[in-house]
Amino acid sequence: MIVALEAASRPAPWTQVRGRVALQRDYGAGHLWLDLEVPRGFRDPVPGQFVQLLLVAPAPVLLPRPMSVASVRTVGGRSVLGFLYGPVGAGTLALSQLTRGDTVDVLGPLGRGFPLEAPGTPVLVAGGRGVAPLLFAADGLRRLGRRSEFLFGARSRAQLVGLDDARRRLERMGGRLHLATDDGSRGLEGTVLDLLDKVGPRLAPPLVIHACGPHGMLKAVAEWAMARSIPAFLAMESQMACGTGVCRGCPMPRSEKARALYVRTRGDAPSLFGNAEYAMCCTEGPVFEARDLDWERVE
Amino acid sequence: MTTPGKNGRRVDLRVRIGPMTLRNPILTASGTFGYGDEYAHVVDLSELGGVITKTVTLEPRAGNAPARIAETPSGMLNSIGLENVGLARFRSEKVPRLRALGATIVASIGGETPGELTRLLGALGAEPGIAGFEINFSCPNVARGGARYWAVARRLERTLRLLRPLTKAALIAKLSPDVTSVADLAIACEQGGADAVTAVNTFVGMAVDLGHVRHKLNRATGGLSGPAIKPLALARCAEAAAAIKIPVIGSGGIMNGRDALEFIAVGAAAVQVGTASFMRPAAAAEVVEEMNAFLEQRGIRRLGDWRGVLASTPEACAPAPKRRKVHA
Repeated sequence: MIVALEAASRPAPWTQVRGRVALQRDYGAGHLWLDLEVPRGFRDPVPGQFVQLLLVAPAPVLLPRPMSVASVRTVGGRSVLGFLYGPVGAGTLALSQLTRGDTVDVLGPLGRGFPLEAPGTPVLVAGGRGVAPLLFAADGLRRLGRRSEFLFGARSRAQLVGLDDARRRLERMGGRLHLATDDGSRGLEGTVLDLLDKVGPRLAPPLVIHACGPHGMLKAVAEWAMARSIPAFLAMESQMACGTGVCRGCPMPRSEKARALYVRTRGDAPSLFGNAEYAMCCTEGPVFEARDLDWERVE
Repeated sequence: MTTPGKNGRRVDLRVRIGPMTLRNPILTASGTFGYGDEYAHVVDLSELGGVITKTVTLEPRAGNAPARIAETPSGMLNSIGLENVGLARFRSEKVPRLRALGATIVASIGGETPGELTRLLGALGAEPGIAGFEINFSCPNVARGGARYWAVARRLERTLRLLRPLTKAALIAKLSPDVTSVADLAIACEQGGADAVTAVNTFVGMAVDLGHVRHKLNRATGGLSGPAIKPLALARCAEAAAAIKIPVIGSGGIMNGRDALEFIAVGAAAVQVGTASFMRPAAAAEVVEEMNAFLEQRGIRRLGDWRGVLASTPEACAPAPKRRKVHA
């Protein structure tokens, strides 16, 4: 991964533009779907990438909020970015108050997305709200003409947000949706990892996993995959200030191997992507390969 | 060298800081603008007064363990821990790139001892293209050589006396606000031979995650920046400006042109834009434009005519009145 980053010494440039709310709607179970239209010239994000949404002043929060992109559509020659989110903090609460025509500053696209071209049967593993970038990944795989398996776990049936959207995305390529809920109200009773245990062995090998969800779940998925030598790509989250590698606020601890590789290719000095000890979630991530992080130290 | 306004009007924004003449008083605060090149595709660096780089130390540093960032009301705490590329890479990679971008470069350097700082400045002091050095005497997030170590007037003065002969470029001392008297430290810097003083670095702060019963930052404390500290920084800036003759560079919560002009009104010669760049990478350039527009509207043609319009000896640092009775 790092070698590939070296080749592209500068990531493709992001821009900051003024986005316009095209749609804000209830997405069920306390979640919302937001469509933001961005001006021409804004580069379309790829699945797994994120943007920084900055509320126009006066705003109740200061910093922009990193938001994973759940879809990109083109409407009338302009890109519309879709976001699936829960109004859980002051920033997302304020975002939830916006209505059609309101504006938000959008900075992006940021970070590196899922390597959807990676060989193997794509297995998308989503936990709760983490489904957002995987809906987009399912779109991306469909465009590549690839059939994927979608494993979706949540606390209860109601928390399987975006279930219909996921199904629609999979149907065209004949992909399958596998469900699990903690309370057994839908699909397998258990976690998404239980589901992986059950479904994984039945899928056509080799597998390649793309996952997003709470860090505890991602750690379990990473360990599951590494124990079976299955490549797994996990979309991580972190507190961030800038989102562009400048503030150095979002370090993710590297594994021993990733650390050695960094030192071999970059030496001991930090780069835009991080340093020997830490990768920056915003530039080298937010999607990391399981073996590149030290999961014991991931918060 | 004047900055054209939007309608072709012009305000002379030039500022002198020791041997360095800036085209305008807007600098990027160290640590908030990387090494300049990260934002170069959205900001014309040559339009800024100057770019103050991320603090460089002798050896590369990996910085502190996460979490390093926490947002607080109208502000943010950071505990980065001086992550930086180190002297060698700074010199071989970063300086040439910044020079090519046409930036006025102010290199921020940091050390745990006076000896480390003299080695750094000994190596960089005559580097072509570096217009000035800001000595980071005030990092709140390192175990050694941070704000507390340097908040000693005699140490600052002695260290600056060692540094002064090592460069002909501008020498700026960046001070911590978490001291008994910013004025005393500013005076020590002036006597040590500094060309200017930056007032102020971040304030030490703390945030608690009550739900998880833990600190929000890994090292518990961090440096508070953003609009939350602007009134505090303004007061310290005014205090420093009243105490010394060399220029004071104001810093703390400047988000727009009006904020910048407030600092200049209380006596700052120049200002730094920091946290705002994390929100809007072009913030520093916007501040230049907004300042210009404000001054034009008031018919002010030279920034010098605005500087210090509210400067006085703030009561907080004035000599205590003698024999004054205090009634409880």
